[in-house]
Amino acid sequence: MKRSGFQNIWRWPAALAALTAFGLLSALLGQGGIWWVLSWIALAIPLMVIAAAWQKRRRAADSRR
Amino acid sequence: MTRSAFRKWFWVHKWASLICTAFLLVICVTGLPLVFSEEIGELLNTDPPYASLPADTPNANLDGIVARSRQMYPGEIVISAFIDDDEPKIVVTMAPSWEAFTANRKVAHWIKYDARTAQVIRQSKPLTQESPTFLGLMLTLHRDMFAGLPGELFLGAMGLLFVAAIVSGIAVYGPFMRKLDFATVRADRSPRLKWLDLHNMIGVVTLAWALVVGVTGVINELSKPMFMLWQNTDVKAMLEPFKGQTIPTVAEMGSVQRALETAQAAVPDMRVTSVVFPGSQFGSPFHYLLWAKGKEPLTSRLFSPVMVDARSGKLQAVVEMPWYLRALEISRPLHFGDYGGMPLKIIWALLDLVTIMVLGSGLYLWLSRRSSPATEADSELMESNAAALVLSREAAE
Repeated sequence: MKRSGFQNIWRWPAALAALTAFGLLSALLGQGGIWWVLSWIALAIPLMVIAAAWQKRRRAADSRR
Repeated sequence: MTRSAFRKWFWVHKWASLICTAFLLVICVTGLPLVFSEEIGELLNTDPPYASLPADTPNANLDGIVARSRQMYPGEIVISAFIDDDEPKIVVTMAPSWEAFTANRKVAHWIKYDARTAQVIRQSKPLTQESPTFLGLMLTLHRDMFAGLPGELFLGAMGLLFVAAIVSGIAVYGPFMRKLDFATVRADRSPRLKWLDLHNMIGVVTLAWALVVGVTGVINELSKPMFMLWQNTDVKAMLEPFKGQTIPTVAEMGSVQRALETAQAAVPDMRVTSVVFPGSQFGSPFHYLLWAKGKEPLTSRLFSPVMVDARSGKLQAVVEMPWYLRALEISRPLHFGDYGGMPLKIIWALLDLVTIMVLGSGLYLWLSRRSSPATEADSELMESNAAALVLSREAAE
């Protein structure tokens, strides 16, 4: 199935934004415990995406040398 | 998006970012230690430790503590008493007079007591003479850059530009990514292209967090005007029946301990954590104003003022906070990141660091721009898309 450009461009950023919103609210509205842990996981994922893209960049650059 | 819409959004992104970037960099750098202010404050704290007493030792009578403070500084006024719910301490703030305090809040000084033994733990000098602490310095730079209320409003405006930069960044992101997969970083073309991709990738990944922290930061900068508004509307209306009365003298003031108990009984599900004495511009001339807060993670951020008549000691009202002050209270944790334990603080600090990278890379992209006959927006996009085309051709080969 061919996705439209807009969907292709925005599905990952939108998913990460939703995850961030969940993470920010779960620690605030939840009563500690599991809600804190879910918040940490949800908010750490965008950071891991950045780290992964960074790693991929380095590997791509190395393979060209 | 049409070409002219893209150019307009790009113009907004460029100028909103350029104007706010220097200030945002200062805010991000000073915000980093502020995330850990509790831990750093604890580390730098040189006060003697609290007496070790059983955990259920009750607090000393507040009247005694206030009387002792007045004895130590005869002729001075008591501004407020803070009853910590975290540590066993009570902090009494005093000043030479209400007039002097209203003119310059830094004439105030405080006395820290052990809440249970009523022993003095530490006294400050008037804040005009105290050397600034590291955290105080960071907070001043972060909040108003030593310019008081005008500084707060100015940095609030910079925060609004930061939000505008994020929104316009969202608008121009699409055209740049039309030929690229999500999170592609073209590291082997030119440093400029690499940093463009990193700027776009980190920016889009952190946009929800940056928007939340940006918007709540702006709301925090408006806290003084919001409290002034409340004081001049709701509080003024509440005090209308008392018009013409004088501020009670010390002799006329009823027991503050009893006021505390009256207020606590009026809000049994909350905890009273401070008393503002009659005469404060942020309170009532005729009442003890007691601030109570909830006990749950969220409700502990929501405060309710309780007014107790300072002369008669009668409960006046449990005041309903207006929506804009509720909004301010909710924005505090969402800006500070202090509501989910140490892991959340670490995540907050890392997100702050990557935001610095977005700001820095944006600045670099502007500084390294090329002069070209086409408009800046178009040439940026052409440069990116041309490289993407080469990339996809190579991939096809």
